[in-house]
Order: sequence, then structure tokens, then C-alpha cells
Amino acid sequence: MSNPFTRMPSQDERAAATKVTDSCAFKAGFSGIAGYGIGLMFGLVLSGIEFSSPVDTTASTKQQIKTVIKDMGNKSLSSAKNFAIMAAIYSGSECMIESYRAKNDIYNSIGAGCITGGTLAAKTGPRGMAAGCAGFAAFSAGIDWYMHKDD
Amino acid sequence: MFGGVFGGGSQKPAQSAPMGGMPGMGQGQGQMDPNAQLAAAEQEMEMVTDMFARLGELCNKKCILQRYSDEDLTKAESVCIDRCVAKYFQVNREVSDKLAKLSQANQ
Repeated sequence: MSNPFTRMPSQDERAAATKVTDSCAFKAGFSGIAGYGIGLMFGLVLSGIEFSSPVDTTASTKQQIKTVIKDMGNKSLSSAKNFAIMAAIYSGSECMIESYRAKNDIYNSIGAGCITGGTLAAKTGPRGMAAGCAGFAAFSAGIDWYMHKDD
Repeated sequence: MFGGVFGGGSQKPAQSAPMGGMPGMGQGQGQMDPNAQLAAAEQEMEMVTDMFARLGELCNKKCILQRYSDEDLTKAESVCIDRCVAKYFQVNREVSDKLAKLSQANQ
């Protein structure tokens, strides 16, 4: 049995791998993982900028540092989780819309942005959902236009 | 006329609208004469090639974007091509069924 790590993949193997990586579920999952990573970085930066909760000044310096770092870590993890969910929903819905329409234009991004914005704002009622949909759709349309304007 | 194309021998249709649409019909099994078999195989090959060319041109025109920013097909394009091919064969099948019915009705 030849070593699968050192031989060239055959045509069938490559085709099967392409089929997996082109599927909507894989794209959504991969975007979720990437979103988690970006969210960690973003959360770290954001926690530095935001005003942190008051630290117990009576504790030793080492204790204070530990508390602050733990707080930064928690903020960063929560931000990472939000980013991961947002990226997964956006990527998954864009892939599904594109598969359904069989067209590749900006309306896929607009639709996916609307779904993502609406889902994330679900707790704030229908008006909040509409606002979230419009806002996120405009944002993702802008990004998509910018990325493809030189094609 | 249309029913006898495959069984019929070396008659080459002038305007070849592909019949049936499925490659590899295997209709030449019952023929005894090797010349007739060869001619039928040639005809089938020509039909399949013609069908291939038309299908490729049609789906290319319909599905492939003019924006050549990437060498890989986008998801939209590959989905479109799958649907285009399936529809083409379906249309071929239905058209040949209708023609067969018409020719039977005429006889």
C-alpha cells in the first residue's frame, strides 16, 4: 500500500477532495474557524481600547495583572465566538444563495448580508431585524463591490 | 424515418439533430454485417461528437461569466453547468419521444 502522504493524489482523489471543499457546509465551517481566529485578534485589540471594569487596587500588582489578563481573555473569547457565528452564517448563506441562483454577482452578497444581519439581530424584534438586515447588506455589498471592482 | 435511423445502416442525416441524447446507445448489437456495424458505429460517433460540441457551446454561452478573474469555476458556474447538461439531455429525450409518437401516429 503506497504511502498517501508521499505520493501524488490521483485524479479521483483530487476530484473527491474538490467536491468536499466546494460544498457549502465545508465553506461555512471553514469560515467559522477563520472568523474565530480573527475574532480573537479583534477581541484582544478591542479589550485594550475599551474601558475595563474597575480592578481591585488593594491586591498585589501580580494579582491585578492576572485579573486584567483574564478579563481580556474572556472578552476576546466572546468576541471570537460572535465573529465565528457571523462568518459561518454569512458564508453558508452566500454559498446557498449562489447555488440556488446559479449566478455570480453582487446580489448574493446582499442577500447573505441581509440574512446574517437579520439573524444576529433576532432578539430585538422585527424592526431590529430589518435594520440589521439593511445595515449588514449594505456593508457586505460595499465590501464585495470593492473586492471585485478591478475584475 | 426517425425510428429507423439507428437500425438503418449507412444513411447519414443531413441536419443532425441528436436523437435520444444518451451516448453509447449500443443499438448495433443485432447487426450481422461488419460493414453495416462499422457504418452504424461511425454514425453514432459522429452524433455523439456533434452532441458534445453543441452541448459545450450552449452551456459555455449560457453559464460561463465573461469575468475571467480566476481559473477555477465558481460555485454558480459549476451548478449552472450541471443543470445545463441535465436539461439538455432531458429536452433531447422528450423531443425524440414526441417525434417517435408523431411518426407512429402518421404511419
